[in-house]
Order: sequence, then structure tokens, then C-alpha cells
Amino acid sequence: MITSQGSFKKIVDMLVELKDTSELMLDLAYSSILLNSKELAEEVQALEEHVDKLHTDYELLVLSAGIPPEESKNFLGLIRIGVVTENIADAAAQIAEVVLREIEPHPVLALAIEEAEETVVRIQVSKESLLVGKTLREAQVHEETGMWVLVVRRGGKWVRPSPSLRIDAGDVLIASGYAEGEEDLKKLASPENQSSN
Amino acid sequence: MVRVEKVEYRPVGVRDLLTEMKDLSELMIDLAYSAALFDSPALAEEVMEMESHIDTLTYLLNMNVMLAARDVEDAESLVGVTKVARATDKISDAAADIATIVLQGIGIHPIVREAFEKVEEQLTRVEVKPKSILTGRQLGELELAAKMGVDIIAVRHNKKWIINPEENETIKEGDVLIVRGAPQGIEEIERVAKGTIQKLED
Repeated sequence: MITSQGSFKKIVDMLVELKDTSELMLDLAYSSILLNSKELAEEVQALEEHVDKLHTDYELLVLSAGIPPEESKNFLGLIRIGVVTENIADAAAQIAEVVLREIEPHPVLALAIEEAEETVVRIQVSKESLLVGKTLREAQVHEETGMWVLVVRRGGKWVRPSPSLRIDAGDVLIASGYAEGEEDLKKLASPENQSSN
Repeated sequence: MVRVEKVEYRPVGVRDLLTEMKDLSELMIDLAYSAALFDSPALAEEVMEMESHIDTLTYLLNMNVMLAARDVEDAESLVGVTKVARATDKISDAAADIATIVLQGIGIHPIVREAFEKVEEQLTRVEVKPKSILTGRQLGELELAAKMGVDIIAVRHNKKWIINPEENETIKEGDVLIVRGAPQGIEEIERVAKGTIQKLED
């Protein structure tokens, strides 16, 4: 029996989503500690449930793909990687859980995250910023600064950054990347505060 | 048989330990996926080394945290620190699980390679041989990014990893370099490290 191309594509798509989501969760989890944000931490917990479900669907799909015996090892690899993404998602949820306890995270945690090579920044978009009115796709934040926008906070809500999301003045961007990109992003989002420094 | 060593207490700042664990665990995820996608046992071995190093760091961190707690309030707030450290340890274990897929020759389906976006950029691990022209040189003066389109993202001297090394980091014989770049540059740096290429072209 030969695996159909259709279910193959579906398997790969789901694996990519599992991998991307687990890594996003990790960034969000560290952000939640850095900002002592319960909302972000809850977002991570919600994503963890999503990943659990997605992972089960993924495993079922792999198992029902009609695996030819000579390819069983390759498929075992697929299943194992799925388990890894789930474990990373769990680890992210554990990090976020620290924020959800009724005790403020120890300051050493935020210090360590700020000092790490990959860091998380939070920056408000000012009226003067070139980003205002552009969609995230047009804004090319990653190309310009090397930072990835993880989530946008707008009017007390967390918005996931789809490429078509239009940036407003007052939006707060949470972004992660190498520490070198932080200054570039600040200049882009809030130019007047940077030039006055 | 698993090799387990005694971890002796030494005073290390909790912040430094945690930063190192976070950096290392994230690098490990990238390395492990790259090892699986390009079926590289050398990268996978490096991930396994890092995993055992993080185990050691976890022990050290726990010891230092225990000694830092002076009262109930400290204890309540420091528990969160050990929890985050445990999570980085768990992430490193997950990366090691991917490395194991490679080392056991299980492999993953080739179609996955096409699906992961960042794969035009490949990671590799090279060991600097004595006759390599890299020996004794500072990273900055080599201009590897300009000359062959590769970045050194980590250097290991014996058991110490330096992540995102500075330009003045000097490469020593026997160092292990983790390099990111396009396939052609990767091939080139492997030969430069081995010593079979003796000159860096402009």
C-alpha cells in the first residue's frame, strides 16, 4: 500500500505547526516572566492544550498513513519528533506556570532572560513610527531588525501577529531575537524616544 | 552504560547559570533539528555533550539556589527559579531525543526536510585540527561571513561552550566550532578546519 500524497502533505504541515507552536510558546513563556504578565502566561497554557490536541491528531494521522514496511523507520522518526515538540511545549507551560502562582517571579529570572543571547523585548509603537498603518508583512520587521514579533498587545488584548495585521500607534509589540536587534526595533517603533536619548 | 559524574558544589551566580542554560538549551534545539534534517551524527554527538553539560549545570544551580534561601519568602520565590531551570533541562532532554533518532540510525522522512523553512541555512560541527589555518586566529580577523558566508554561532574549548562568540575570541587547536551557513560555505569551512584548504579566498 502506498501512502497517498495528500495525507503526506497533511502530516508534514502538522509537524511544522507543532514545531513552530512549541518554539513560539517558549518565547512567550520567557516573555511572560520578563514582563510578569499573567495574560501571556495564560496564552501559553492555552497553546499547550492546543498542542496536546494537535499532537494526538498528528500521531493518529501518521499511524493511519498506511506505512510501507521499508519506510517504517522514517515514520518512527516522524513520531519521535512529534513527541519532542510536545515536550518542548510542556516545558514552556512549566515556565509560564511560575507567573501564574501568586508569587512574583524572583528578579534573577528576568535578569537572566535579559542577559541571554536571544532576548525578548516589549515596545510601544509611537505615532511617529514608520510602522503605523503598515501590515506586518509590509513592515518587514524581521528583515529590518532581526527580531520576530511574537504577539501584539492592543487595547488590553493579545493579538496573534498574522501577516495582514495592520499596526496602529499605541500597539505594544512583543518581539524576540538576538540582543543586537533590540536597538533597531526600538528606533523603528519609537523613533523620537531614541533620538532624544 | 550511562556515564554519571559527581557534581561538586562551587559558588556560581544563579543568574549566570540560568543564562547559560537558556542559551544552551535553545541552541540545542536548532542543532538537533539540523542534525536530524541533514542526518549528521557529528552534530548529534555535540547535542549529547551539551545535554550532559546542562545536567551538571542543573545540579549546580539547585545547590546554589538552596544556599541562597535565607527565609520563607526567599524559598517561596526561589522555587520558581529551580522550576525554570528544570524546564531548560527538559528542553535539552527533548533536543537529545532528536539527536538519538540520528545516532540510532532511525532518520526522519526526507519530505520533512523540504517543509522546514530555514533549511537553506545548515548547521555543522567542525573540529579545528592542528594544521588548520584557523588555529591561533581571532574570529574577527578571519572575516568568515564575508569570505565564505558562514557564521560561527558557538565555540567549545574542552567542556566550555561560548555562544555567539565575540570577535576577539581566539580559536585554539582542538576547539569545536558550530557553524551556520549555506551548504557551499559549510563544505568549505569543514575543509579549512581540517587543514585541507590552507588559504581563505576573498
